[in-house]
Amino acid sequence: MKLAVTGKGGSGKTTTSAILARTLARRGHQVVALDCDSNPNLGISLGVGDDETERLVSMRQALDEGEEEHAPGWDEVLDRFGSDAPDGVRLAVVSRIDNPEPGCL
Amino acid sequence: MRVAFVGKGGAGKSAIAGTFARLLARQGHSVLAIDSDPLPGMAFSLGLDRDDAPLPDEAIEDRPDGEEGPRYRLQAGLSAAEAVERYAATAPDGVRFLQFGKIRTDPRALFRSQLAFRQIIRELPPEQWDLVGDLPGGTRQPFTGWGVYAETYLVVVEPMAKSLLSARRLARLASAADTPVRVVAVANKVVEPDDAERVASRSGLEVVASVPFDRSFAEAERAGKAPLDVVPESEAVRAVACLVERLTHERTGVTS
Repeated sequence: MKLAVTGKGGSGKTTTSAILARTLARRGHQVVALDCDSNPNLGISLGVGDDETERLVSMRQALDEGEEEHAPGWDEVLDRFGSDAPDGVRLAVVSRIDNPEPGCL
Repeated sequence: MRVAFVGKGGAGKSAIAGTFARLLARQGHSVLAIDSDPLPGMAFSLGLDRDDAPLPDEAIEDRPDGEEGPRYRLQAGLSAAEAVERYAATAPDGVRFLQFGKIRTDPRALFRSQLAFRQIIRELPPEQWDLVGDLPGGTRQPFTGWGVYAETYLVVVEPMAKSLLSARRLARLASAADTPVRVVAVANKVVEPDDAERVASRSGLEVVASVPFDRSFAEAERAGKAPLDVVPESEAVRAVACLVERLTHERTGVTS
């Protein structure tokens, strides 16, 4: 299954997403949790802590600023921009490609 | 005075900003409350029963060829002050309210309204109008031109991990901004005695107000009413009044 959680700021999107992800993982699903928020906090709610959350954010920032290469496929996205969260959830902080290189797309 | 409220979504920016704007107006200031969120939320805490207040199409025109600047601007001859007088919504205590339309608006109309909105903020004479801004939650908008009017950014922070982390990010973005700005924290929904201190140490920001968690204030928000009208004596409203007093005092050196 693929779920997207949206809503007003502070309504509980991040907390709900984290609990959904870990609950599904505990029931035996392989779960990828994607933080697409411009202010990404999902790591905190999943339980990876402040420092690791900030590390993933800074990696995405480096990508947005062109200091890092985009990953060509989903597996490499998870590998390079991801982190292991409790219950076997794989967390990645990702963004839409806003400025593809010329010649791309 | 020109302030902008920023912070994580749901931290309480709109509720505090609306209350702040009205209390400032009660001190005799001409206050323009501005909501630059395409999912606006400030109007309720001002006591308005509409949440948007975009400029009408008639106030905006295409910029003539050869004139420097963005594609749309206020009609020729219409000053920023006149646009506010004529088109901004009027909230209780004489606060005027401006917003630029909602995200579901036709994109071209939204763009026109946004450019005129930004022009008004840029050109409105600071000696005549105080500005109280409510910016969208998160870190995307605050330091990318939408808060340029602010002398002081007030980061609303709950004493919770995610809110504290957002405050730290905002503090970092502010320090990386081209023009140095004053950024301070408003601790909100404070419960424990050391919460304000935690906000200060974890965000690295000076805490200029500590607003207690207040069930009656939350009830007003739940009903979509202005806390200042429903629970004017609540502790949270009193804390916002102290913040207004403090910032006014800082500017004038006189306690009103």
